[in-house]
Amino acid sequence: MTNSEDLDPPKTPIAKLPLAAAVVALVGIVDSVYLTVHHYTAEPVPCSLIEGCDQVLTSSYAEIAGVPLAAFGAAAYFVAFSLAILTAFGDSRVWKLFGVQATLMAGFSLWLIYVQAAMIGAFCQFCLLSAATSLILLTIYLVSAFVRSKTDYILSV
Amino acid sequence: MAKVIKSKAKEPKSNTPMLIIGAVLVGAVLGGWWYWSSQQPTPATANANTAANRVTSTPRPNTIPANAPPGANPPNLAGSATAAVTLEEFADFQCGSCATANPIMNEIKSLYGSRIKFVFRNYPLTMHDKAYDAAVAAEAAGMQGKFWDMQNQLFSNQKAWATAPTYKQLWKGYAEKIGLDTAKWETDTIGIAAKGRVDADLARGKAIGVSSTPTLYVNGSAIQFTEMTVPALKTMIDAELLKATSQSTSPAAANTGNSSK
Repeated sequence: MTNSEDLDPPKTPIAKLPLAAAVVALVGIVDSVYLTVHHYTAEPVPCSLIEGCDQVLTSSYAEIAGVPLAAFGAAAYFVAFSLAILTAFGDSRVWKLFGVQATLMAGFSLWLIYVQAAMIGAFCQFCLLSAATSLILLTIYLVSAFVRSKTDYILSV
Repeated sequence: MAKVIKSKAKEPKSNTPMLIIGAVLVGAVLGGWWYWSSQQPTPATANANTAANRVTSTPRPNTIPANAPPGANPPNLAGSATAAVTLEEFADFQCGSCATANPIMNEIKSLYGSRIKFVFRNYPLTMHDKAYDAAVAAEAAGMQGKFWDMQNQLFSNQKAWATAPTYKQLWKGYAEKIGLDTAKWETDTIGIAAKGRVDADLARGKAIGVSSTPTLYVNGSAIQFTEMTVPALKTMIDAELLKATSQSTSPAAANTGNSSK
């Protein structure tokens, strides 16, 4: 155990999860940036009998004070990504902050799914992808918390 | 073992995470900028020419069959009923793309006036929960000669009413704003006449095979939504007007040619 200082954190189960979270957050960033740009530039698509149009993205729920929700999403995913990367590279103190961030994002995503289902009556696939990534981020955090508590228990015995 | 756990928090400071974070930030900004640049519209005239060529030289597969049901009679018509070029739009008041297309259609109507026959057909999609009622509300306004005013109100305020539980109150506000007798309008919105007109338009659209809104037909040929720009439509209409003019003058020219032999 004298070489314990040389242990590489990313090789442990706990450190791999932040790395996975960073990858998922990266997907969220790409999705949110796409939706943000789409909000300002995209040509509207026709409404089809079988597919939804841009009802969700053009609805009054798609922006706050003129700023598209996707831009807030991009910022949130970037914060989550940064916290996950910092944790993956050893700064485990920020992992709890990541947990708070992931919880807020997942909660807001659930609200947006409700808005799409109950208020707008249509779903936007890229919004659902964003909701999925934020829920995965929370799941990763919860798994890491579970693994850590279990490891701590085993190690303390 | 406890020492092992503690040691994880004491990692040597490295620039790698900050570099990765910085790279992702730069990548996101550059990627967003690249996508934004790629979405900028190309010169409209190029599209207009392409669209015009399609109308004049390539027969469109989606055309209005001669035996299609006539739709609401008389139709909601702007311009002249006897014009050589007919534009027939199938639209849904709750469809965002139709609201986008509406100012374009208005500009075309004002540009060409009586040189075109512009017909609006109601085609409320079932996926839009308030679209059918909105079409009936517009038809009820039409019974007081204010269909186009109500149509403009519904399209321009679409975002406000489409997700509002009190949408009928908002519509009543629009009815007042355009000077309708609101009591009569409200009665007409629940009457059979306005609904009958919407149903007739729907039946025509279904028979033709309209599958999305807005769908526009220029002299019976379907126009893609991406071609519904003022320059593109102008080129198409001008080409159709020219064609109509040459067709009306060609028999005379042919007769002249024969007589000269």
